[in-house]
Amino acid sequence: MLKKHLTWSALLLLPAALFADPVTSWVFDPVTPVAQEVRDTFQIMLGLTLPFLLLPQVLLVYAIWKFNAKRGHKPATFHDNVKLEIVWTVIPALVLVAISIPAFSTLKKIEVPPKSDLVVEVIGHQFFWEYRLPRYDVGFANEPLVVPADKIVTLNLTSVDVIHAWWVPSFGVKQDANPGRITHAWFKAPAGKYKGQCAELCGPLHGEMYIDVIVVSDDEFGQWLEKKMNAAAAPADSLHSEMLEPEAEMEAAHG
Amino acid sequence: MAEAKPKSLLLRYLSSTDHKEIGIMYLIFALVMGIVGGFLAGVLRMQLWESSGGVVSPELYNQVVTMHATIMIFFVIIPAMAGFGNYLVPIMIGARDMAFPKLNAFSFWLLIPAALIGIASFFVEGGAAGGGWTSYQPLTSAQYSGTPGVDMWIFVVHLTGASSILGAINFIVTILNMRAPGMNLMKMPLYAWAWLTNAFMILVGTPVLAGAVTMVLFDRHFGTGFFRPSEGGDPVLYQHLFWFYSHPAVYIMIVPGFGAISHIVAAFSRKRVFGYTGMVYAIAAIGFLGFMVWAHHMFTTGLSPWVRAFFAFMTMLIAVPTGVKIFSWLATIWGGTIRFTVAMKFALGMISLFVIGGIGGVWLGNVPVDIQLHDSYFVVGHLHYVLFGGSVMSLLAAAYFWFPKMTGKFLSEKIGNIVFWCMFVGMSMTFFMMHWAGMQGMARRTYIYRPEFEALNKFMSFGYVFMLIGGILFVWNVYQTIRQPLAAGTKDDAWEVNDIQGSLEWMTSSPPPKENFKTIPVVA
Ligand code: HEM
Ligand SMILES: [Cu+2]
Ligand SMILES: [Cu+2]
Repeated sequence: MLKKHLTWSALLLLPAALFADPVTSWVFDPVTPVAQEVRDTFQIMLGLTLPFLLLPQVLLVYAIWKFNAKRGHKPATFHDNVKLEIVWTVIPALVLVAISIPAFSTLKKIEVPPKSDLVVEVIGHQFFWEYRLPRYDVGFANEPLVVPADKIVTLNLTSVDVIHAWWVPSFGVKQDANPGRITHAWFKAPAGKYKGQCAELCGPLHGEMYIDVIVVSDDEFGQWLEKKMNAAAAPADSLHSEMLEPEAEMEAAHG
Repeated sequence: MAEAKPKSLLLRYLSSTDHKEIGIMYLIFALVMGIVGGFLAGVLRMQLWESSGGVVSPELYNQVVTMHATIMIFFVIIPAMAGFGNYLVPIMIGARDMAFPKLNAFSFWLLIPAALIGIASFFVEGGAAGGGWTSYQPLTSAQYSGTPGVDMWIFVVHLTGASSILGAINFIVTILNMRAPGMNLMKMPLYAWAWLTNAFMILVGTPVLAGAVTMVLFDRHFGTGFFRPSEGGDPVLYQHLFWFYSHPAVYIMIVPGFGAISHIVAAFSRKRVFGYTGMVYAIAAIGFLGFMVWAHHMFTTGLSPWVRAFFAFMTMLIAVPTGVKIFSWLATIWGGTIRFTVAMKFALGMISLFVIGGIGGVWLGNVPVDIQLHDSYFVVGHLHYVLFGGSVMSLLAAAYFWFPKMTGKFLSEKIGNIVFWCMFVGMSMTFFMMHWAGMQGMARRTYIYRPEFEALNKFMSFGYVFMLIGGILFVWNVYQTIRQPLAAGTKDDAWEVNDIQGSLEWMTSSPPPKENFKTIPVVA
């Protein structure tokens, strides 16, 4: 683990450490089991592809030095070598198969959620997110999503206008919200505050379509839920009808 | 020539059906549009200098993002590739011209109205299209982008698409029918092979794009609902159609460059291309597999896992022939005597940068990883490594290599050297760090960004300055050289490299006479 960590941080960290101060990074800060597995998949892939990244560069630099015309040697005359060509076709192919195996098992994990503890409907709007918890008849928009810690939260996503994408890097979740379709995602996160943003160009203010998720203990979640339910059987409904008028939404987003 | 009677020269070009003159017009067009596209890139980098933006409005930012990409793809890289292809392919196969010279001229002239419409769209009501060069639905539907910018963008795609398709037909017929006696397909230079493959890709892919944007046009104005959910249509269908063309399109932008690199690398190593047969199969395999990977751009749209697994696998597979090309180039220079002309520097630089871009592509083909990286700056880094590091560097290599053939004059090696280092350093500064920003969660196509990324972005914007200097020096170098009087005595084999290659373009004068050869060579 440490060794793997070192290889890739050596490559990527050295130049970039100068600049970086990340708050949201699935590479450094994966908080869900899926995001952790994605990170591991990434590291395996990095380990397997690194030789192919570095070898050509090394050979190139060596050749530039070694075969410089200034040395006054005669050029070689070989121009094929079937064995060599088979080797550099077959070995990369095998490596790519080796990369695919963890990739596909991680994909399975992403795609097959365990039994859900909480269903959240996520609805994309230009340019904010609306959330609904159907089981509790609670809906709200343009404010952080609050969910309980260490529970399986499944998301059903759609959009009322254009395509958006719900992306929280440290959850390992990025899922398009398409109008006319429902897509799915899930996460199980420890308590904390997480940031994300819309990842599909959705219009002028796409860059401001942020996502905030607050993951809290069961107790706190219960309190929050109660407040929401008391405050607003009616507002949740009115929100529902407003949803059909995009203009009203725009103002809600920036008011 | 130029200084004697400029007017008649202009007229000659305007009415030309000669493949060499048309090729040169393509190249000048690409250079001019490169200045426009590069200017727009500068606007983007200025806006992103600070995390709070402030240079352009969000609307304008999206328009600049869209038109920067559209111009660079459809007006710079594709026409520049076509320019060299037009000029070189007939000569390399020992033909007197393209098969359909008038069609050839028509293909070129279609680009002029296309470019004018594209640029004009900034000045119409509502400005240019702002949905990205991908123009996903329903963002650019009548409902969400009702102004004429998108219609003009569609028209641009139609015109450039028609230009490409007609050009492709011309290339295919020329290459299949007009080769010199004795030149069977497996004796054809790799550059001609690259163009044959490329032309087939254009012919299969481009009509699909034209169809897709026509459907958008119909949805916008004629009440159809191909991509409108409320009419039973589906926005995701648009993505399938778009990427069915646009993945092959990314190869359309690099494959002729591959061909050029093979020639240049062999020439300045004084060796024959290593593994010619393998290279031919690799190009053909890339052309074929290129049509079976499109959904790797759609891993987050909600496709079923099996579909994604299939496309991920095909994407990995396409890295194999790409690797064959890289290794064969390395084997070509291996043991040679390497001359570091500017053309060779660009070629070797291209190989180095393209490897990084290609490995980045493999990472993106890995579905779970791509779910994180998709629509982040990582993708922007990847695409610039392959398009700038790959396509543009190979175009610059080709420019320095074939310029003496086309004009009888050499571009300055001294200036060229500075151009190379500016481009290499500048592009590495700008685009390498994009991978990094993307891995940390910086989303693409946003006009402001989180303050944490500001230092990185300043560094990237700084790289732009190097590329700008490189670009200006290159234009200056070309301009200066063209204005010089024609030096008598530029050799046919200008670089004295052809005794080993035996490529036909070096067996006729520099520049070649009308109809290319006094007598058509016979290939042994
Ligand atoms: C080894 C070869 C390559 C592989 C495996 C590969 C793979 C990929 C993948 C999976 C994506 C989608 C990323 C995403 O949006 O999530 C992508 C994007 C892209 N690739 Fe490549 N690629 C390769 C070579 C190239 C080449 C040669 C070019 C062009 C010369 C290219 C140009 C692009 C462009 C322009 C995009 C971004 C499209 C957009 O969203 O605007 N790629 N590549
Ligand atoms: Cu968005
Ligand atoms: Cu692709």
